[in-house]
Amino acid sequence: MHRPDFIALAPLLILALSAAAVMLAIALRRNHLSAMGLSLTGLGAALTALPLMARYTPRTVTPLLIMDHFALFYTGLILAATAVVIVLSYDYFSQKDDLPEEAYLLLLLAALGAVILVCARHVAALFLGLEILSVSLYALIAYTRDRNISIEAGIKYLVLAAVSAAFLLFGAALIYAHTGALDFQQLGALLKAEPSGRPALILLAGLGFLVVAVGFKLALTPFHMWTPDIYQGAPAPVTAFVATVSKGAMAALLVRLFTPTDLPHWPALYLFFTAMAAASMAAGNLLALLQTNVKRLLAYSSIAHMGYLLAALLFSGQKAAVVMTFYLTVYVVSILGCFGIIAILSSKERDADTCQDLQGLFFRRPLLTGVFTTMLLSLAGIPLTAGFIGKFYVVSAGVENAHWFLVIILVVFSGVGLFYYLRVIIAMFSPSLDEGLVPSPALPALSAPVVLTLTFLSTLVLWLGVWPSWFLATLEKMLG
Amino acid sequence: MTAQPPVDTPLWPLVLYCAIVMILAAFIVILSAFLGQRHRERTTNEPYESGIAPTGSARIRFDIKFYLSAMFFVLFDLEAVFIFAWADAARPLGWTGYIEILIFIAVLLLALFYLWRVGALDWRVEKHRRSKRQVTKVN
Repeated sequence: MHRPDFIALAPLLILALSAAAVMLAIALRRNHLSAMGLSLTGLGAALTALPLMARYTPRTVTPLLIMDHFALFYTGLILAATAVVIVLSYDYFSQKDDLPEEAYLLLLLAALGAVILVCARHVAALFLGLEILSVSLYALIAYTRDRNISIEAGIKYLVLAAVSAAFLLFGAALIYAHTGALDFQQLGALLKAEPSGRPALILLAGLGFLVVAVGFKLALTPFHMWTPDIYQGAPAPVTAFVATVSKGAMAALLVRLFTPTDLPHWPALYLFFTAMAAASMAAGNLLALLQTNVKRLLAYSSIAHMGYLLAALLFSGQKAAVVMTFYLTVYVVSILGCFGIIAILSSKERDADTCQDLQGLFFRRPLLTGVFTTMLLSLAGIPLTAGFIGKFYVVSAGVENAHWFLVIILVVFSGVGLFYYLRVIIAMFSPSLDEGLVPSPALPALSAPVVLTLTFLSTLVLWLGVWPSWFLATLEKMLG
Repeated sequence: MTAQPPVDTPLWPLVLYCAIVMILAAFIVILSAFLGQRHRERTTNEPYESGIAPTGSARIRFDIKFYLSAMFFVLFDLEAVFIFAWADAARPLGWTGYIEILIFIAVLLLALFYLWRVGALDWRVEKHRRSKRQVTKVN
């Protein structure tokens, strides 16, 4: 390890250090504000280290990690998303008088795991990152431990994530038994060299197990069952974290894992991916139609979005990284906004996640309603929002490469998806059912950092929707 | 890694073996079902424990402290394994390895400090702790 290695690793080191610092601070003196401030400082320091390390990229640090532009961008995205989650968590957890400080410690650790995932160039790093992320999430999901639903969600996630980690390990073992490589680049080259007609069964099984583990984390359709329960049970800021950071890091890993392997070369795997993408789009959108709980609705919608994302991976071949990254960034911003609103509206006892909670919100909180509407329209892919540009980019890549089956599925089910997003919006704009009969629930006061964050997020959505060319050009320069 | 040489061990002995195991197990169970006696007395379904009648339910609520101490044991035990692994290769790893294990141990000590401060190592129940606090206040 030389000095440039340490600089290249700076965000990881800073994150680890700030997690240790937060733990020490909690041990010395419990204070919610200082724990939050310390975590935000750590994230800020890690973010400012990014331009500094950009000079040393691309650089392979130890056989496990690679710091290239791809890793740089995703690290930035993860750190920024975590910062937003932390800002949202402060108001959310300060209503509850029950030890909120450790949440920041766990969030920092989970962010560390996610950053390791996006920098991974070796299956060992993939496993390490995944475990750091998952173990922190087990505790975070069950963090509001006075609610039975959170504990249930935590245990469900624990069992299922442990099973998927077992799949990952077994898959890696099978692949290693056949190829003797765990390095992504080396693995990709070896897989390319395999005879394409009849690949070895053991290799195919190994890759299949690996895809199961990735599919579980991304909640792609045959492995999506956990999503609604965990989204509903977890505290709203944690749900935002699961939906954005955990899934985003895994999607980045998917790009890294399968870009060197040349997917169409493997018909069985290609077919499997196509089926998963189509099934996710269909199941996510159709099941969301039946939901009245907004968190569950967003869970199914996120299944559909992961389907779109996988479709983008299949569509665009070499350009996959750019298309997927744009889509993912937009998705992360929109989802953060949605769960941010839910977190703000939540009370001490429960999260404001039913349509009744949102009924007539416009007349009480026009600003929040505006932000939520923007985010939902962006998720639905309505023009003038970033979601439209993202979806347009995916579809145009599909049309270019003539993947008609997936394009048609995408377009049809996006149309279906519009219905449930609009239903939430209609609920917010229609007058309260119980006007005057029951006093509407007292709304907590909005704090300045939260308002600033939400304004920033919605500006970002509108800006990327109206003028995406700058961001696209930057992405192409970085990742293309 | 080179491909394994093709193995031409016949598979049928394994299949036969499995079949024999299944048949034997089924034979034993079915035969004893036909030949065995059947009782239906007052204490037939009670668990047998050397002639002593069972009392109460096995599902007692244990204090969370037992789980906590078990978990801490497992955690620190596992981490000791890492230190052993380092110690075995200390010389070839050199100063880099030494510094890394120092960082590792420092993090462990930090975690221990945290556990101590949040009261996870405190064996008393909440009631005792509160009463002690009151005593010190009175003093």
